[in-house]
Order: sequence, then structure tokens, then C-alpha cells
Amino acid sequence: MTTEWLTRFRFLLRKTLSRRKRQSELDEELHFHVEQSIAAKLAAGATAEEARRQALVEFGGVERTREQCHEARPGWWMGTVLQDARYALRGFRRNPVFTVTVIATLALGIGATTAVFSVVDRILFRSLPYAHDDRIVSVGLVQSLERQEFTVGGFFFDWRDNQKPFEAFAAQGALPHACDLVEANPAQLNCIVAQAGFLPMLGISPVLGRNFLPDEDRPNASRVALISYGLWLSHYNRDPGILNRLIDVDGSPARVVGVLPRGFELPTLQAADVMLPMALDEGVERKSSPGHAMRTFARLRPGVTIEQAKAELEPLFVHTRDTLIPAQIRKDFHLSVRSLRDRETKDVQLTSWILLGSVLAVLLIACANVASLMMARGEARERELAVRSALGASRGRLIRQTLTEAALLSFAGAAVGMALAEGLLRVFLDLAPTGIPFLARAGLDLRIALFTVLMSLVCGALFGLLPALQTPRVVALAARAAKSRKRTVLRRCLVAGQIAISMVLLSGAALLLKSFQNMEQQSLGIEAQGVLTARIALPGFRYDTGQKKMDFYLRAEEALRRLPGIRAVGFSDSVPPGGWNNDERFADLAAEGKPHPAQGTGGSVVSRGVTPDYFRALNIPIVLGRNFTEEDRRGNQILVVLSRLLAARMFPGEDPVGKRIERIRDDQWFTVVGVAENVKNGGLTQQNDPEIYFLRRSVQQDWGGRAPVGEVMSGAAPLMIVDAVLPPKTVAPWVRSQIAGIDPTVPVETETLSQSVSKLADRPRFETALLGFFAFCGLLMAVIGLYGVIAFVAAQRTQEIGVRMALGATRLNILRLIAAEGLRLILLGGVVGLAAALAASQLLKSLLYNVGPRDPATYLAVSLLLALVALAATLIPARAAMKVEPVAALRYE
Amino acid sequence: MAPSTDLLQGTLDLLILQTLVPGPMHGWGVAQRIQQVSREVLQIGQGSLYPALHRLEYKGWIRSDWGNSENNRRAKFYALTVAGRKRLETERETWERLSSAIGLVLGPEAQA
Repeated sequence: MTTEWLTRFRFLLRKTLSRRKRQSELDEELHFHVEQSIAAKLAAGATAEEARRQALVEFGGVERTREQCHEARPGWWMGTVLQDARYALRGFRRNPVFTVTVIATLALGIGATTAVFSVVDRILFRSLPYAHDDRIVSVGLVQSLERQEFTVGGFFFDWRDNQKPFEAFAAQGALPHACDLVEANPAQLNCIVAQAGFLPMLGISPVLGRNFLPDEDRPNASRVALISYGLWLSHYNRDPGILNRLIDVDGSPARVVGVLPRGFELPTLQAADVMLPMALDEGVERKSSPGHAMRTFARLRPGVTIEQAKAELEPLFVHTRDTLIPAQIRKDFHLSVRSLRDRETKDVQLTSWILLGSVLAVLLIACANVASLMMARGEARERELAVRSALGASRGRLIRQTLTEAALLSFAGAAVGMALAEGLLRVFLDLAPTGIPFLARAGLDLRIALFTVLMSLVCGALFGLLPALQTPRVVALAARAAKSRKRTVLRRCLVAGQIAISMVLLSGAALLLKSFQNMEQQSLGIEAQGVLTARIALPGFRYDTGQKKMDFYLRAEEALRRLPGIRAVGFSDSVPPGGWNNDERFADLAAEGKPHPAQGTGGSVVSRGVTPDYFRALNIPIVLGRNFTEEDRRGNQILVVLSRLLAARMFPGEDPVGKRIERIRDDQWFTVVGVAENVKNGGLTQQNDPEIYFLRRSVQQDWGGRAPVGEVMSGAAPLMIVDAVLPPKTVAPWVRSQIAGIDPTVPVETETLSQSVSKLADRPRFETALLGFFAFCGLLMAVIGLYGVIAFVAAQRTQEIGVRMALGATRLNILRLIAAEGLRLILLGGVVGLAAALAASQLLKSLLYNVGPRDPATYLAVSLLLALVALAATLIPARAAMKVEPVAALRYE
Repeated sequence: MAPSTDLLQGTLDLLILQTLVPGPMHGWGVAQRIQQVSREVLQIGQGSLYPALHRLEYKGWIRSDWGNSENNRRAKFYALTVAGRKRLETERETWERLSSAIGLVLGPEAQA
């Protein structure tokens, strides 16, 4: 084999003579053959004339032999590719309008697809940055208030030691915590704790140094730390001497034992600069209930599926549930094992698929348009192709020519599309809401470029093959302008298909738009206008008691109230409609003198700790009883206000004012003073939850003391709410300066309530804008395609029109004749599209708010819009046909 | 032109390689030799011969050199290469297997 290759190589070297040289050698060889043949015939006794004649007849076509000898040469076709390419380029230069249109259409399709792909790639396809990423799962319990898997020390070790489906099982801390790097160049960082087995489970090893040793992951072990690549770079200038250096984290030294790889991310996607050993005391944890909260991940053994793993864990889970979780809430806990990709991106996968699907639909429309254009060009060049075919070009060669043209066009389209994608991506990033994972890192890299090239190849094959398949019939040489109408069938199908696809896109976009409008126009139950919120992060080490915190906040309240134009200054944990809040279980609250509600029923109740001004600032009306008063704040009783929904559920048909409520879990009693109107409190799209407002009294445990006795407010930093007559822009700097006047070192984040409400709509806005854009592009291209075909058909039938007119057809008849062509396509495409849209819109269901996926009004509007635009596209060429002079039409060829 | 005896696909290669075993030969010679040896049954037209020669050359089984013919004309001579000899072995084996298989299918009376 090797020798064969060597010979071949040597041969190629030697024989890479110019084609002309090779040709002349071949000619000489063939010439010799003929001469020998003549000589043989002469020797057999033929006359010179006769011998020559016979030899030539026997010899046959020289040209064909030459061609075949040439084709025996390996790689001979490369020359023809270049030839084809040169020929194609010449053709493009002759027809710049065609070329530019095709490239622009393709660039739009490919560019948009590339941009979307670069956004969704990491969410849907790209492998996660861990070894065996497809086998890493998130394991733990879930319950109605916590949808992400968690474990606690009370059962973690039991599971770890007794599980069978995993080959590695390890946890990180539940949340990164803010920590201070105290040194010459201090910084506030995020620290995360993790077990010694955590990085090996992920298949990650430090780029420098080593992972924690099991001995270091014990209580009272000497303190060690891993630092992130980013911190190493920014803070230590990639100094390899960082190893074994002591750094001061939160006031105590830790020895750096390693540097995490560049681009390392926690499977929870949280940011962390420093990783410390979790150092749990196993003995203590095993006995505690619940123990430390953790996020646990595991690597499946090869061949074990997630379902199998879940089934195998079931007995452990049942044991944990029955021993560790109090009986009354047991039902609410479930075992969950999910792939890491689902854990990271489950909630955006649907959106990603929808965006990708719709952009691919746009690409399909673009390809169809280009195919249609190529076919139109093919018709115009039919005679040229027929001549080439008659001159001996094989059918394969002609198809290759068309494919070469298609490939050139699609590569040009891809190149322009790449540039367009860069721009589109920037627009996406500006539009995009926070909370779409990996978005900030989306960019055009090699992988995306490869995708683009692949896309353009598929595209080129698609629009190249369609016209190629119907190319040359030798009869075309004879054919005059009158061509069979059959040839446009394919183009018509394409146009109908385009209309159908745009129908699907348009309906999707319209549904999202309607849902978005519903979201924007709904009543939130609060008045966001003029309301400013300020979150003040008090540094924990100086404000270390509830008393100090309370003093600060009360001074701030007083200072702000003195400002001009301020209507109300209140406190809460958060503001509706979004925002984090403390939830209670409905089943945990019991009205005095009534039977306790059944455990595990009733869902959750939003709870907020507020001061009296909360209701005034947000303009939430009190419908029964009264608001909290300033005197109440100094009282001892824990007072509550219920939302109308909660009041109706706990006290159906009664007046709840003055009644008492018991919280079963800790035996706390609250007195109801009033009932407030419902507000939107579960985000913009969720059902309203019942809500209970606790009065935030002026006692230290209500302001996040170390161990709140009543645990009414579980230590959430209060949010200041300022309602002003003046615009929030004016008020914000005043608020900052007043707070700086009390303590200049505390950071203050201000935001208007309108902003935070609008932020909640970011995601639907993003989806709507993108899908709308795609639908618009799709419609535009489909309409252009329709116009093209109708204009073409009208031109083809010019002669026929002339005859009809000469026979007495009116111009209106002609208009009808041509418009009917378009109408049929619109109808066909529209009906198919409608059916497809009705089926496809089911996918959107979970993204829609207050509008069904089969909302008749939306479909009607979309159909009308499509019909109108498409009709316009038909009427323009139809009118042109109508205005044709009969005499000119008859002479038309 | 070539007679109606269609050559099995790939057989031409075998014939050419076999013909070149005694020594280098030009295209005309190859065609003549095959014709003679097969008692005029196999006539190779130049339309098949030269593409085949070129193909074999590109594959490295034969090589070509310009030399002088018997009547002192410049002609292209083809000669077997080492790889070509090996190829001939395998081609021949394949052929023998095939023809004996066909013989079996046709039955003993056909062989007789």
C-alpha cells in the first residue's frame, strides 16, 4: 500500500506537468496507435487510402478517449471545479442584481441563525465543562418552596455511604457567601465551601497546585483555600508563588493550595472566587436534624440512567423522609435527580428551542427564496445550458456547475451573515433579560463559525439541488419562449410553503405579543409611579446586632421623612410583583377556634414584614379594618394584615378583623387588624398567592437580629420604600446623600419600582421582540417570493394575455386571471400554515399569559394581515399584466 | 470497433497487467497481443485501452517511458511495477475464484 502511494505521489510530482504537455503526449501516443494500425493493414494488403480509412473508423472518436484518459487522472475534477467557479463568477458579474439579492437574503437567514445559535448553543448543545458531563446529575430533595435539589447534613452522609448508582457523590455549599480578602489590596469576594470529593467528582483538577486533601476537609483542620483563575490573574498577576501563601479570608489566614482552571464554573453557576473546604463534622451532622444545607451533585456509573438512579435512591429517600422530616410536611418533599444541563438551564430550554426553531424557519424561507431565484435564472439560461449540453457537457457536469454556483453564493452569504450575526448578537445582548444563563459569554467562536459553514452548505445544497434537478433537456434548444407551465410547479410549491411557514411564525409572534400586552396592561394592585426603593447593605461585622441595624434604619427613615415632597417612607422585605419573599405554608396557619387545615394542602402564602407606610407608598387600599399605625410599632403584639384572598380562605364569610391566627410550627399567635386588597405577588404571570403582612415593630428581633426570637422576619435586609411627589430621578440622589449622612461607608442600591416591574417583563419582551423580528423577516421574504413567482408567471403568459385581449377579454378579466394564480397560492399556503400554527402553538402554551394558544382573534388577525400583504404582492404584477398593450403582447417572445 | 464480447468489469485491468509480464510494451502492442493470444476473440478498442492504461499508471501498477518502437518510431512503453505484479497476483486469484464459481453454477456439462 505504501509503495503504491509513494509511486502515486512521485507520479503526481512528475506528472504535474502543464495540461498542454500531457495533452500533446497523449496525442502522440494515440497517433502512434493509428500509424501502427495503418501499417498493419498495409501489410495485410490494403491500399494506402483504404488502410487509412479503416484504421480511422476502427479508432473511433479521439476527443472522447482524450477526455476519458484525462478523467483517469486522480483529482482531475479539481480543475473543473475551478473552471466551474470561474464560469459562475463571470455569470454573477453579468447579473449583479440577482447576485446581491441572493447574497443579502442568505446573509439575513444565515446571520440570524448564527446569532441565535450562538445564544442557545451553550444552553442546549454544547457540552458542559466537566469530564463525563453527560453523567453528572444534581441529586436531592425538592419541595414546593425550593425547586432546586438540596440535601442537608442529616441525611447526606447516609445517602453517600449507601447509594449504588453513582461512582462519585459530593456536595458544595448551598450558597456562596460574601467574604473579605484582607490584605494590602483588600477586596470583597464570593466564597464557596465544597467537599474534598467535589472537584474530582466533576473531573476538574486545579491548573496549579492541588485539590483539598480529605484530611483538610475536617473540622479544625488547618485552613486551606483554592482560588479562581480570575482572582489569580487580577489579584496576584498569575504569580506561581501563590502556592502555599497565606491569604487572609474574613480575618483568618488560609493557605492557598491550588488555582482553579480558567473558565471553571460551579455547577450551580454561582460566582465564586475562593473555594474553602466544607469541613463538616460528620458525626455531629449525622445526628443533627436538619444539619447543614448543601447542593449535591453526583456522577452516574457508566450505563446507569437517571431513572434507574432515581429508582435505586428511592429506599434511601423514603427512610430519610420518614425519619427526618416532620410528619405534617412530609408529603411536600420529593426526591429529584436531574441531569446537570436541566439543573442549569431547564427554564430557558423551551424558549431556546422556540427561538432556534423560528430562526431556522426564517432560514428555510430564505433558502426557498434563493432556490426560486435560481430557478428563475435557470429558465432564463435554459438555452445556454442546452447549448453546453449539446456540446457534450454531461448532465452531472451541469448539475455540478449549478451546485458550484450555489456553494459560492452560500459561502458569500455566510461571510456577510457572520458579520450580520455579530451585530444581531449585540442587539440580542442589549435586549436580553438577566437570568438567561451564559448569555454574557455568547460570542462567535470557531464552533459557531463551523456551524455557519455547515448551515451554508446545507442551504446551498437545498437551493442548488432543486433547480439542478430540473435543468437541461435537449429539447430546450428548440424550445422558444413558450415553456410548459409544469416547470413552475416547484416554484409555486416553494412559495406556498413560504407562506405557510410565515403563517406559523406570525401566529407565534402575535400570540406572544398579545400575551405581553396582557402582562403590561394588567392591574398589579400597586401604584408604581413615583416609588423608589433603596436596598442598603449593612456590613455584618459592624452592624452585628438587630439593635444596631434597627437604629440605623429608623434614623434613615426619620431623615428621609424630612425631605421635601416625600409622601411616605416604609420598610418591607421586598416589593411585589416579583422579588424574594419569605413564604409560609398555608397549612401552617390556623384561625383560632377552627380545625387546623389539612397538612400539605393549600400551597404557600407570601409573607412580608412591613411598616405602616408600606400600604400608603404602594397605594394598596385597606378594604376592611385598619392599617397598622405608628403606635402599633411600639407595641408588643404581633399584628397582621391579610390580603383579601387569604382572608376569604381562612375566614370564609366572616369578618376577620380582631381574630387571632396561630402559626402551628412555632406556636406563635398573631392578631388580624385589617384586610388589604390583593396585589400581584407571584411575578407577572403567576396566579396571585394569598399574602400575610406582619407588622415590622421597632424591636430588634424584627430587624434581623442574630437569632430572632419570634422568627417573624428571618433576617432579610429590609428594603426602604420611598413614595415621592417629585420624580424618582430627583429623589434618588437625596436618598443617597441622607443615608451617607448617617454612615458614608454603606453601599446603597436604588431602583424605581417601575424599573423593577419592567425588569420582570424583560424575558417576555425579549421573546416577543425576537420572534416578532423573525416573523417580520419571514413574511417579508415570503412576500418577495410570491411577488417574484407571480411576476414570472405573468411574464410567461404575456403572449397568452395578448391573445385573450385580442379575443375580447377585458383588462379586468386579465387582472382576475393573474390574481387568481396568486390567490390559489395564498389560500393553499395559508390553510396549511394555519393548521401547522395551531399545532405548533401548543409549544408556546407555557409562555403565554391570559391568552390561549388557539386564541381565535389572534389567528383571525394574523390571517387577515397575511392575506392583505400577500394580495398586495400579487396585485402589483397582476396590474402590470393588465396594462400590457395587446399588440406588444402578441409580438412578445 | 470492439466486438460484442463484453469484458467483465475489471477484467481489462487483469488482461493488461498479464500482457505486460514478459516485458515493456506500447499501447498498440498490448492490444495486438491480447487479440492474438485470445485467438481474435478479445479485441480491445483504443477507447477502452488508453483510459485503462492511464488509470493503471495513476494507480502506480504500471509505469510509462518513452522509447523507440520496432520500426524506430518514438512510442510510449508501459512496464509492470512491483505493486503491479502484486496486483496481478490478487487479480488473478479473484478471477480464478470467480470463474470456478461460475463453472460450479453452470454445472458439469458446461465444463465438459
